[in-house]
This record gives sequence, C-alpha cells and structure tokens, in this order.
Amino acid sequence: MRVSRKSFEAIWRRREFGLILLIAVISLIVATVDSGFLSREVWIDILVRCAPTSIVACGVMLVVVTGEIDISVGSLMAFLAAIMGLMISRNHGNLSCGWGLPATLLLGTVVGAITGGLVTWGRVPSIIVTLGLLTALRGMTTLMMRGENIDGLPEELTHLAKHGMLGLPVGVWVAALVIVVTQVLISGTPLGRRIYAVGSSPYSANLAGLSAHRLKLFVFAYTGFLTALATVVDVPRLPKIDFGIGQELELLVVTCVVVGGVSVSGGRGNLTGVMLGVLLMTMIRPVLTFLNIGETGEKWTKAVHGLFIMLAVVSDHACGRRSNQERVR
Amino acid sequence: MSLWNRIRRFRGWHEATIALLLVSLLAVAGRLMPSFLRVDSQLLLSRHIWEVAILALGMTPIIITGGIDLSAGSTMGLCAVMFGLCLTASGSLTIGCLACVATGFACGALNGVLISRFRVHPLIVTLATFAGYRGIAEGISQGDSYSKFGDSFSGLARGSWIGIPRPGFLFAMLAIAGTVLLGRTPTGRFIYAIGHNQQAARYSGIAVERLKFWLYTASGLLASLATLVYVSRFDTAKADAGKGFELDVITAVVVGGTSIFGGRGSLLGTILGLLLIHETRLFVSRYWRTDELRSIVVGILLIGSVLVYRVCVRDRRA
Repeated sequence: MRVSRKSFEAIWRRREFGLILLIAVISLIVATVDSGFLSREVWIDILVRCAPTSIVACGVMLVVVTGEIDISVGSLMAFLAAIMGLMISRNHGNLSCGWGLPATLLLGTVVGAITGGLVTWGRVPSIIVTLGLLTALRGMTTLMMRGENIDGLPEELTHLAKHGMLGLPVGVWVAALVIVVTQVLISGTPLGRRIYAVGSSPYSANLAGLSAHRLKLFVFAYTGFLTALATVVDVPRLPKIDFGIGQELELLVVTCVVVGGVSVSGGRGNLTGVMLGVLLMTMIRPVLTFLNIGETGEKWTKAVHGLFIMLAVVSDHACGRRSNQERVR
Repeated sequence: MSLWNRIRRFRGWHEATIALLLVSLLAVAGRLMPSFLRVDSQLLLSRHIWEVAILALGMTPIIITGGIDLSAGSTMGLCAVMFGLCLTASGSLTIGCLACVATGFACGALNGVLISRFRVHPLIVTLATFAGYRGIAEGISQGDSYSKFGDSFSGLARGSWIGIPRPGFLFAMLAIAGTVLLGRTPTGRFIYAIGHNQQAARYSGIAVERLKFWLYTASGLLASLATLVYVSRFDTAKADAGKGFELDVITAVVVGGTSIFGGRGSLLGTILGLLLIHETRLFVSRYWRTDELRSIVVGILLIGSVLVYRVCVRDRRA
C-alpha cells in the first residue's frame, strides 16, 4: 500500500505527467466545442508544424543540459535557408540538390562548431556568443538576399517537403528519426551520460577526467547540424524563401525545452518532456483557431505562451521539486 | 607603491578601452566623412537612442547581480497599450501617464516576486513575461493603435531645450542618480556583493531577495518612462512598442564591460558601450549606405569585445 502510494506520487510529480494531462484536457475541451479538432487532418497539420521545432529542440536541449544556452538557431535557420536557396534555386545557382543539401548541412555544422569553439576555447559566455550571432546572421541573411525573396526551388524538393512519403511530409519522418537517434544518444551511449555529467557538476566531471570543452563543442555542432536539417526539410514547404524565416524560433525552442522540464542550470531534463513541450506549444495556435474566436484568439497566442511557462515554473515550485533554481556558485 | 602596481590596480581599464575605441572610431569617421562629426547632425541622429539608454540604466544593476531582464521591451509594449487605452477612455493625459507608470511598476514587481520569492531563474521568469506581456498587449489592443495625443504631449520628446533633446535631460538625471546609487551608497556595494557571491552576501546579512525585488521593479518603472518617451516621439501607442529593444540593451551593457556572470560593471561603461554601438551603427550605415551591415558589425562587436577581454584578462570567473 505504502509502496504504491509512493510510486503514484512519483508519477504525479513527473513533468511529463502534467504535460500529458494538460494536452489531453485541452484537446478534450476543444473537441467538445468542435469535434472537427479530433480529425486526422488537424493532427497531421499539428505534427507538421511540430517537426522543425522538435528537430532543433533535440539539439538545444543537449546544449541546455550542459549548462549553456543557444539563442541563435532562428537566425541560423534564416541564414542557411538563404544560402540553400541561392545554391539550388533555378533562378540563382541552379546547383543539383545532391550537392546543395549536403553543403547546407555541412555549413550548419561548421557554424555550430564555431559557436562551440568561441564558448569553450574563446571562453565567451554562450548567451553572448549566440546573442551576437542572432544579430549578425540575420544581418548577413538580409545582405545576401538584397531585399528579394528567393523562389524557384526544385519541384522534387518542394513535393517531398509538402507531401512526402506514406502520406506524411518528409519533415515528420526526419523529426521522428532525429528524436530516436537523440534518445539513443542520451540513454544508450557513454557520450550521453558524459553530457549530463558535465551539466550537473562541471567540477566533478573535470576531476573524473571528462573534457567539458570537447563535449560542449559536440553539442553546439550537433545543434547547428540539426538546425540545418530542419531548414532543409521545412523551408521548401513554403512557396518562397523570405528573410523573416525562423524569426523568434530560438525563443520558441528555449520555451519548449524549459516547459519540458530541463533545468537551465544544467544536468537535468529528458527528451520525452521536451517533445511534449513542443507539442503543447505548437497546439496553442490551432486550439485558439478552433475555439472559434477567430482573429481575436490569434492575438492572444503569445500571452498563452507566457502563461504556460509560468505554469511550468509554478508547478515546479508547488511540487517542491528542485526547480530551475539558481545554482549556488 | 610602484607605478606598475598603480596601473594594475586601476579599476577603469575596460571603460578606458571603450572610450579609446570610441574616440578612434570618431576620428576615422571624421576623416572619411567630415559631415559626420557635426553637432547638429549627431543630435538629429541621436533621437532614437534615448529609450534604449533609459532601459540600459535598469538593466546594468540587474546584470551586475548576475540576473537578466528579457522582458524590458515587452513591458514597453504593455505600458504603451495601457497608456493609449486609459487616455482614450478617460480623455486625461495625467491618467494615461499614471496608468503607464503603474503598469511598468506592476510588470517589474511581478518579475521581482517570481525571482526573489519563488527563487526561479531570472532567465526563465523574464522569458515567460517576455512572451506574456507582449501577448497581453496584443490581445488587449487587437493590433489597433492609439494616436493623436495632442501637440503638447508629442512635443515633449521631440522638442529640445538649449539645443539638447528633452529626453536627454531625463536620461541625464536618471543616469546621475544611478551612478551615485551604484558607486557611492551601501546599496550599490550590496549589488556588487550579490553578483560576486550571492551566498556570501546572504550570510553577511544583506537582504538579497528584497534588493533583487526592487531592482526588477525599478527596471519595470524605467521601461514605463522609456515608453512615455517612445509614445510621445511617435505620437502613436501600439503593442509593438519597444520590440527587440531588450537585445540592444543587453548588447550595450555587455559591450560596456559588465560581466554577464555578475559582480563587475558600471553605468559609465554601459553609457560608453551604448555610444560606441550607436556611433558604429550610424557610421556603417551612412558610409556604406546599407542598413544590413549594421547588425553584422554590432554582432561582431559584441562577441569580439568579450572575446578580447577574456583572452587578455585571464579571468577565473568563467
């Protein structure tokens, strides 16, 4: 009896439980207002919207677990989208996708690695490096695009991104693959354990012989790679590439990571929570549309956004969890 | 006490470096574009700097304590909407201004309570309110804007007094008060103490939580003052007031030599950092005649200034 109550309490206190409950309750409420919400199309649409965010969130989560932060992903996505467009569009480079897409992925990884290098060997705090890149990459994007949108992407690519394989756009499959790989990385490899070790106590990890520098370099490069991947699968869905791509993506991703229960002081958090966080945050807009408040509802999206972060934070406090407290130096 | 020791103990190295950079930039700019240095053109171009400058006064002490306030720009949005709403509803300018300041106070106080009482990381709290305040502003106003507040109000920020724009006087007063508070009072020393080692500060009997609460509240109040300047300058109050300002402010504070980990920095440094960024932007956009280059240069300046500092000064607090 006592044991079962304890295990019940343990489940109750998990972040994932609260998130699933919240998602279920919201879906039920919306479904009673309009039963169309439970249809297949709506959920496929939600999944498609989730795809790029969840791909990037897999990387940013690992960065946050090591105790750093990356707020440059939105601008990086715009930068990579512009370069990809200039390379493979009919009206510009007209390069074949076989060259253009791997080059984009490589470039994303390189930018991520440079970020990591500045954070580790340059010893610049990650929030400053990525804040600088947030500004600089956005500037480079507008400079490259010269105020014009890029169109004329190859048809095979846009078709794959829109309709894809087996009834789902390719982004959803890629996202699923990335989630599986990241989960295996976290729970099945020494690398994943080391990332958590460095995050929870850099000092002890150092004494245990782990190189925080190399691990951090890896997570930043991984994030860069995933951002490029999200760009490649998601951007061709749109009719043309404009320089507003990925605006505020960084804030959305960090929000999902935090709502998913990852501690910003590092060392704590799991992928399931983060993915549920992505789902919850992506649901806001369709839900507000379905509640039939129309334009009025859309304008409250951001307020609901903030409310959810608050809820996550306050629930941490109420459950007496060791919350996202400041670490005592 | 040798000369070398005196040089080493000089505290204002960072400020001196930025001032030197600023002077050399102005020298180069003056050489390449003599019209750039003319006082009237500088004053004309300095119009949009005041809001960010006022916000920076609240941000500097917060970053010195090791915190951060991402919600400053969003607070401005909410303040602007409340100002417009109350002014059109009541028809009285006083009530509009009071509503604006009260909103700023409430926004800052909410941040402060969550950070000091609930002990949540400032980055998380202000990320939530960054989205939240802007969202409430957009929700209430539904994208509408309020305008036409009368010439007497819009003249406040546009007009100048003995050749200097009026908001400059507001900023100067606040800056002097802030410098005295940070550099000459026990409260100021406590702020540095918290940033250096919060635990030690708490054990030495400093009311850490209360002080932090007031710092975030002050940041909200300053945001409401910045809103008044902003609204008066454009004669329009809209939910997008101050969008993206928080990043400009943090950039200025960090370039000005305040450590993002806390414990080091000054208002003088922040003001110099602000000027350096402002002049760099102006020069770049006017010399090469492109606006896009500005953000690249500012981003590089931000990373570069900290990188150089980190590499030159082997600071253990990394």
